[in-house]
Amino acid sequence: MRRLLPVCLGLVMVAMSVAAEARPLTDDGRLTFSGFGTLGLIHNNLDEADFTRDISQPKGAGEGWSARTDSLLGAQVGYRFTDEFDTVVQGISRYHDSGDFSPEVSWAFLRYRPDPGVQIRVGRLGWDVYQLADSRYVGYAYPWVRPPVDHFGTLQLTYIDGADVTFKQPVGSDLLLLKLYAGRSDGHVFIGEGLEADFDVDKVYGGHIDYETGPWRFRVGYTEVESNLDFSGDVPDQLDYQFDQIRAFNPYFNLTANGVLGDAFGFDRLKLYSLGAVYDRGPLQLQAMWNRSKTNAGGAVDSGFVSAGYRIDRVTPYLVYSQVETTSDGEGGSEGDFKQRTYSMGARYDVTANVALKAQLDRVHIQRPGFLWRDIDSDWNGGWGSIFSLGLDFIF
Amino acid sequence: MNRVRNFLLATTLLMSTSASADIAVVVNANSGIDHLTRSDAVNIFMGRYRKLPTGNLALPVDSSTLKARFYRALVNKDLAEINSYWARLVFSGEASPPQQIASSDDVHQLVTQNMNALSYVDSSQVPDDMHVVLTLGE
Repeated sequence: MRRLLPVCLGLVMVAMSVAAEARPLTDDGRLTFSGFGTLGLIHNNLDEADFTRDISQPKGAGEGWSARTDSLLGAQVGYRFTDEFDTVVQGISRYHDSGDFSPEVSWAFLRYRPDPGVQIRVGRLGWDVYQLADSRYVGYAYPWVRPPVDHFGTLQLTYIDGADVTFKQPVGSDLLLLKLYAGRSDGHVFIGEGLEADFDVDKVYGGHIDYETGPWRFRVGYTEVESNLDFSGDVPDQLDYQFDQIRAFNPYFNLTANGVLGDAFGFDRLKLYSLGAVYDRGPLQLQAMWNRSKTNAGGAVDSGFVSAGYRIDRVTPYLVYSQVETTSDGEGGSEGDFKQRTYSMGARYDVTANVALKAQLDRVHIQRPGFLWRDIDSDWNGGWGSIFSLGLDFIF
Repeated sequence: MNRVRNFLLATTLLMSTSASADIAVVVNANSGIDHLTRSDAVNIFMGRYRKLPTGNLALPVDSSTLKARFYRALVNKDLAEINSYWARLVFSGEASPPQQIASSDDVHQLVTQNMNALSYVDSSQVPDDMHVVLTLGE
């Protein structure tokens, strides 16, 4: 963070002094460079639990101020071979599963557009599992300091290695869009106290249908994720220790922590059903999304949010309500279930046409503490928490 | 009653002809494109669907000097909102914003050389070799 801060500040200065668009690096305009970033500060009033942005973050923002959760920096290089063929490579540095800001390649694809209505991309692609999911780190693109954590925080993957194809078809003055994708991926997620998992995704595939009419954009999406999970942490260690003791008396006892936890969570096969609607007309922006992820063990993660913002000159005040709830029918029982809802209010101030300043207050009602929080006090049963955030978003 | 109606009609006509500050969406005079609807223009300039009535891929060109007025007239948004909109599409690899050209002479040159290019000019200053396909009131 100490190294990221001066870099980000420098980039904000650069961003404020140049035009906000992909700058051609060559005379013919084929090679372009652009980027985005956020400097975020969080204040958490809870001393019982630390706030995270998503399940890939090993540590959260504890009581007091923290700049780790939301600060990030991304850059993109594009090269256009012909009008039909181009390539895009994008990298991002953010606080993620490795516990630091180590940069990673989030996009690297070849694109073929034989017709204005057809697009094929092959390579590393953002996970477009629901509306905004593949741009959730581009703070300048949305009014909030961060997309609603209840809805986007439980997403397991950021990218897929594979291919997607998009078809667009005008219907009168409306537009119908179909996107299909398939690939593989991996990730590392933090599920709870002393429990994390390597997420080795053999297959991830799905698609969505978008319908755009006037200011409305609707989406229906479906995705399946087939993966192998390798659990680690205190919980599986202790389980394996106990299983080993049983095995000392009964050599035929063949349970392993990985197997037991895998069966209990059923994360090895996920089905994600999602709905979304966005209304964007002049100064008014409304969004509503809902998702249900079903696990192999009969459990589910239900989440959703509604958001409204209205732009008045350079200031866009907004209100958001979001919620998330897990239900498990597996052997884990309801003890491990997680439930919370969040009421947010904030405002975005556009300093220039490529720098925005944001302030946001989240009142989080944690009904059952769970996997979006870190370092949870063992005797804490939840309650109300206040998260105050400041964000400086820029594009360059 | 008739007199009132005639008066209103006359004033409306007078006002619409004297309002020279409109924005004209223009193409090459030989492109074969007669007119575009507002939603065609939104689809092309906002990167939703870039197909011209001729079937070709549209090449929208932003003119730096008129950009703010154009997007205010087209979608009632200011440049920060337009940049925010494009940030989502650019950094999710979905679409690229129109090429931006600073001088109106260069915009003129590009449109007169490329049959698939379209841009915009102040409706009071449309050159002879450009064809107006849509007029956006301000």
